[in-house]
Amino acid sequence: MMNTNDIMIQLDNVSKTFYIRDKRHGSPLQQLGRFFSGNNLRKIEAVKNVSIKIKRGEFIGIVGANGSGKSTLLHLMSGVYKPDKGGTAKIFGNYIRLSLGLGFNHELTARENIYINASIMGLTFREIGREFNKIIRFAELEKFVDTKIKYFSRGMRARLAFAVAIYTNAEILLLDEFFGGVGDEKFREKSDQIFHKRILAGKTIVLVSHNLLPVKDHANRVMLMHEGECVKTGSSEEVFLHYKNVLKVDQLKIENKDLA
Amino acid sequence: MVRLSHFNYIYTAKIVIMLGNIGKSLYELIPENNQYERIWLLAKTDFKLRYYDTFLGFLWTIVNPLFRLAIFYFIFTFIFNKQIPNYALHIFSGLIIWMFFQESTKKGMNVLKSKRYLYENIRFNKLDLYTSSVLSSLMVLIINIIVYFIVSMFFKIPLTWNILFIPLHILNLCILVYGVILILSTINIYFRDINQIWDMILLAWFWINPIFYAKAIIFETYPVLKFINPLAGIIINTREGILYGNPPDWGLYMYDMGYSVVVFFIGLVSFRLLFHKAAEKL
Repeated sequence: MMNTNDIMIQLDNVSKTFYIRDKRHGSPLQQLGRFFSGNNLRKIEAVKNVSIKIKRGEFIGIVGANGSGKSTLLHLMSGVYKPDKGGTAKIFGNYIRLSLGLGFNHELTARENIYINASIMGLTFREIGREFNKIIRFAELEKFVDTKIKYFSRGMRARLAFAVAIYTNAEILLLDEFFGGVGDEKFREKSDQIFHKRILAGKTIVLVSHNLLPVKDHANRVMLMHEGECVKTGSSEEVFLHYKNVLKVDQLKIENKDLA
Repeated sequence: MVRLSHFNYIYTAKIVIMLGNIGKSLYELIPENNQYERIWLLAKTDFKLRYYDTFLGFLWTIVNPLFRLAIFYFIFTFIFNKQIPNYALHIFSGLIIWMFFQESTKKGMNVLKSKRYLYENIRFNKLDLYTSSVLSSLMVLIINIIVYFIVSMFFKIPLTWNILFIPLHILNLCILVYGVILILSTINIYFRDINQIWDMILLAWFWINPIFYAKAIIFETYPVLKFINPLAGIIINTREGILYGNPPDWGLYMYDMGYSVVVFFIGLVSFRLLFHKAAEKL
């Protein structure tokens, strides 16, 4: 049986610093001048010293304002970004990251995209053939199997991505703002059903969201990010209160700046 | 008689169904390999997307080189008055190899950008993306080689057993291309200008290939070109096989193969060292 003490994701002192070159406008001559005068690199510390262990079957919510480093943290967990020196990030098991509008080639049909994504997840064509109808039925896209993704609504894309994630052997789901912004009522109902029916039992889920609503009902543990740091980890109620305070403090800072 | 033939139809149909079932069960016996399937699927999709929604579809893979052939043939025969027997085929055999090289490197160097939507979300061997990219260009080359043979039948070119060496040359070419796109795509992560620079390099490189010239010119006048340009040897050897019916120059083949393998390993090392920046930089 699956051991619930298995650690699926482990971050130790993970930091991520980006060096960003700002795009400056100017005449071609000025640009040429800059080419010789040196660089204009800006250092951005997106994530600072975060450590967390996520066990099998856990549902972790990561919340924070825009730009607080949530999505970067998710990329660090999946290993797509390499952490700065001194930190280690490990992920054990098959993962799939879901975010709206990503993961599909919009020029291809639903069928082709399912095959590509599932094949990359490690399923053979025969296995995909067996799961194919389940995926389509789950996504409720029976009439759009051979329609190009670019004609799909956001809700349809989200359902399809979710269905692929469930029926391929993903042990870890990394959801990046996946439920926010989908105006599709049907999808919202569907996602509520998914969590209540425990279709995802045994899967490890990390949900990144800037609003607490999707996190509140389902997450076992919530992590609050603020300016790259993990400010608080705890149950959703605790973090919810803290989140409001953090936002208030932020608001005050901005107002003070405006006054000064 | 009628009844007999009627009986025969049923019998034939039964045999066909039986053979179909045998074929099916044989297919089931082939061990599945997810990685091969994935590479094949990505290459197939790539090939399909290339001429998606165009009127001529995949026929463009033939029209484009034939059009170029017509232009070059016209210029070199009527304006420069070249005297090489079977000059059209001489150009065409070099041109399809060059076009494969040009197209596959230009497409392959951007593979980390164009396939970002895949490796950003799911973990798998990123080299599969490169393999499938080369494979999809290879499909175009194979179609063009078939077209070459059809054209050469019209010119009554005798075929010899030496055409069997062609896969070796294609293998050599693919290793070279694989290495080049590994190097270029890792440079592309840090230095986006490489796209423009590579365009210029290709333009210059095109003219030092023995596409229009007979091989004697390039060997006798500028022997150094034979050694700095691995494509020259590949083009010459392929042409010897398919046009003149000669066996390959094995010394030259081994030299080019060694060259390609070295490029390939340099590419592999640079990819391993630098790939991790791809997701954040591109």
